[in-house]
Amino acid sequence: MRWRYILYVVGALIFFVGLSMLLPLAFGLYYRDHSVAVLLKSIGVTVSTGALLFIAFRSQRQETLRQSEGMAIVALGWTAAGLFGALPFFLEGGTLRFVDAFFESVSGFTTTGASILTDIEALPKGLLMWRSFIQWLGGMGIIVLSIAILPFLGVGGMQLYKAEVPSPVPDKLKPRIRDTATILWKVYALFSVAQIIMLMLGGMGFFDAVCHTFTTMPTGGFSTKNASIAHFDSLFMDGVIIFFMLLSGINFSLHYQMLRGRPLAFWKDGECRFFLAAVGGCIALVALDLSRYDVYDSIGEAVRYGAFQVVSIITTTGYATADYEQWPAMSQLILLTCMFLGASAGSTGGGMKCLRIMLCFKYCYRELFLLLHPRAVVTIKMGGKGVPDDVMRSVLGFLSLYVGLFVISAIAMGGLGVDFVTAITAVATAMGNVGPGFGSVGPVENYAHLPQAAKWLLIWCMLLGRLEIFTVLIFIVPAYWRK
Amino acid sequence: MKIVIVGAGEVGYHIASRLAFENKDVVVVDKNADALRRVSENTDVQTITGSGSSPSVLEEAGIRKAEILLAVTNQDETNLVACLVADMLSPTTKKIARIRGADFDQYHKTFQSQPPHIDTVINPEIEVVKTIERLMRAPGAADVGEFAQGRIKFVGVYLDRNARLAGVRLSELPEKIGQRRLLIAVIVREEQVIIPTGKDKLLPGDLIYFICEENQMSEIMSIFEKRAKPVKRVLIVGGGRIGYRLAVRLETQSINCKIIERSASRCAELAEKLDKTVVLRGDGTDQNLLSEENVGDIDVVITLTNDEETNILTSLLATKMGAAKAIIKINKFSYFPLMKAIGIEQVVSPRLSAINTILQHIRRGKVLSAVALKGEQAEVMEVVALETSDIVGTPLRRISFPKGAIVAGIVRGEQIIIPTGDSIVEPNDHIIVFAQRHAIGGIEKLMAVKLEYF
Repeated sequence: MRWRYILYVVGALIFFVGLSMLLPLAFGLYYRDHSVAVLLKSIGVTVSTGALLFIAFRSQRQETLRQSEGMAIVALGWTAAGLFGALPFFLEGGTLRFVDAFFESVSGFTTTGASILTDIEALPKGLLMWRSFIQWLGGMGIIVLSIAILPFLGVGGMQLYKAEVPSPVPDKLKPRIRDTATILWKVYALFSVAQIIMLMLGGMGFFDAVCHTFTTMPTGGFSTKNASIAHFDSLFMDGVIIFFMLLSGINFSLHYQMLRGRPLAFWKDGECRFFLAAVGGCIALVALDLSRYDVYDSIGEAVRYGAFQVVSIITTTGYATADYEQWPAMSQLILLTCMFLGASAGSTGGGMKCLRIMLCFKYCYRELFLLLHPRAVVTIKMGGKGVPDDVMRSVLGFLSLYVGLFVISAIAMGGLGVDFVTAITAVATAMGNVGPGFGSVGPVENYAHLPQAAKWLLIWCMLLGRLEIFTVLIFIVPAYWRK
Repeated sequence: MKIVIVGAGEVGYHIASRLAFENKDVVVVDKNADALRRVSENTDVQTITGSGSSPSVLEEAGIRKAEILLAVTNQDETNLVACLVADMLSPTTKKIARIRGADFDQYHKTFQSQPPHIDTVINPEIEVVKTIERLMRAPGAADVGEFAQGRIKFVGVYLDRNARLAGVRLSELPEKIGQRRLLIAVIVREEQVIIPTGKDKLLPGDLIYFICEENQMSEIMSIFEKRAKPVKRVLIVGGGRIGYRLAVRLETQSINCKIIERSASRCAELAEKLDKTVVLRGDGTDQNLLSEENVGDIDVVITLTNDEETNILTSLLATKMGAAKAIIKINKFSYFPLMKAIGIEQVVSPRLSAINTILQHIRRGKVLSAVALKGEQAEVMEVVALETSDIVGTPLRRISFPKGAIVAGIVRGEQIIIPTGDSIVEPNDHIIVFAQRHAIGGIEKLMAVKLEYF
């Protein structure tokens, strides 16, 4: 492990996080609120720390990057981004404890959207913008962004990319990783612009439209309003946001193919079909359940609120237009399942990812089939191609780790004095990067009241979920530290 | 620039990593997913699993947009079909194929003019035989390459422990060796490539590269205290395709030649095809056989079996028993750094030869030939200076050359100039450039970027 080289790259990332604070600063200056001083201080600290590391270790530049070093850079880089991203919240007003500011920042970068703020609307505009902007940066990945715009990362770029976007079957859109990263960010930016325009057509102000776009596209879920999307109470806006949440939950390489003139790409992709079918099925079940118990006046409303909540949770966004705590048990359990299921691989959404679940189903089916025909040769296929055994192994390993870590963390939460429902759902929602849970962390509540230790635990869970476990967990494997 | 490589073997892998390092768009196609994983884990290229001779796989690899197709699998048939399919799908793509079968030798030209229209057919075995011949003609050299149709040689020699020049600064070199001008272009020291300045010293164990004219070579070699008798007697161990080709070449030069080959049937075949060569059946590592055949009087032992370890051991044994020197064939690149440590200086590799030959066809602009140095960290190129290029018309010292590159020679018509800072390159000169790996992109730009300017 060449730690000095790792610090050199992490320094560049910190520097970059500092520079990205210039955008909220511009909004702060425009609205002349008291976030300007806070942001200026944060920029000063962040940029100088980053520059210091970068310059101090610049002689350590290497031509190649090993896989273990790539993982270290990504894990450290994300932790550092969380720390420095917390500065504006920590310095503002001085009311927040450090762990709260860190929680808010990590929740932002990992696009979870769980908040410890009780009165969001009281924050100055500049900070609201920062809160949304870190989700937008974290959604496609700060490392992927750096690969696209910082050429010096070029050589080891692939190791970093694999550590940050650990899709089961990596698809490179272009021969070179830098071109791939650039394309993904271009598609992402293009959709963002489209959503801002659509929201403004619906009557949302420019500031709110930008903030909400910055938290929809990465499936983040921070809102600028205390009541989240329910604040706007508009069918049109619900529709626009559902549409863009769904887009963000689909593999971005499919978007690229569609924009290249292959509209059937969505349909031809097995995972995308599975994802859309899961969304449709869940919406239908929830809407039926809601109208059966007459939660809403008409079946139309049941569909509207059911659809929004289902899409928001399954894409791991976490916006809310209804308090699903009041819903019947079946609907709640479906939402809980959606928290685990998550969106497609290669999308900005979190969770276990549809692709892995699909492969797991096929694997289970094969086991059953082999009981009937012990001598049959069955290959697991995905899009007409056989899935190699090592991919299958890593998928099963991932799923067992995910469930195992969920259980351990939930037990630990219970041990910290959190009640049963809250402990289970807070961990599930943090690992899936969703946001709201059930119990005392439901859609109309927040995370402020949790004990400090529980917040640290959830911060760890959010990072685990965003970096898809292996990259974070590798650090606690003893073999990693052995020379 | 997009390049499709069919075959992820040693040659495909090394070319892919070279090109990816230079920021070219590379797609590698192979049937073997494991071989591809090695490529995609270590280099920034796209990989596609599938047969390189299948039209749909080549489509998927983007053959229609590719400028070059390299067919370098270990099967001639696959390479030929890949080129044929590429010729159908995308006639403008330049095609380079590795074809090893001796039966195809006479038809290389035919492949060019008729389908599959392969622009360049590369037979690494022919290249290796050429390299061996060059090494034999330059006794004492560890590496020899040719430029300007052989008129210029670039030569690498190891500096011996107690050589006269050991410890001398480059700036002191002219006094030390008299009037003769000698430009040392590159020093390879402990696997590091150094482009030296006047302040650098020559140390024992360095591999030193210089440029010289053909007729000066023995003179310059004597500066490095490398002298050897002309080659009269040769022992070849391993009668495979390369061994056979080499024996045929040596027969025409009336050099006394013996071949040791293990397989009886192959021995019979060789004995039938070769006239003057003595074919011996036996094992190259058999000490009795070697002493029976007077290995002590042999000028060069060349080990060419398919087994790397046998080659290494046989040549060590033969030199121990008194053979003047040994040239050995090595395929595994990971063994190269070891060769010096065990005292073997002259190494040839069919794969490295293939890579070298392929490289010159990939270089942009008017690059006539290019040769990779040992360990591939640096490259030597012969380039035509175009009138529009930045390098023409200004003294070399004022040209902003990329760091890690040096002009080692200028060829103007019949004249060969060893350049100084005041030398000026004229249009249509051929210049010989040494460049480290990271400087290659810069050199390519400097020489060729204005090509696209009309």
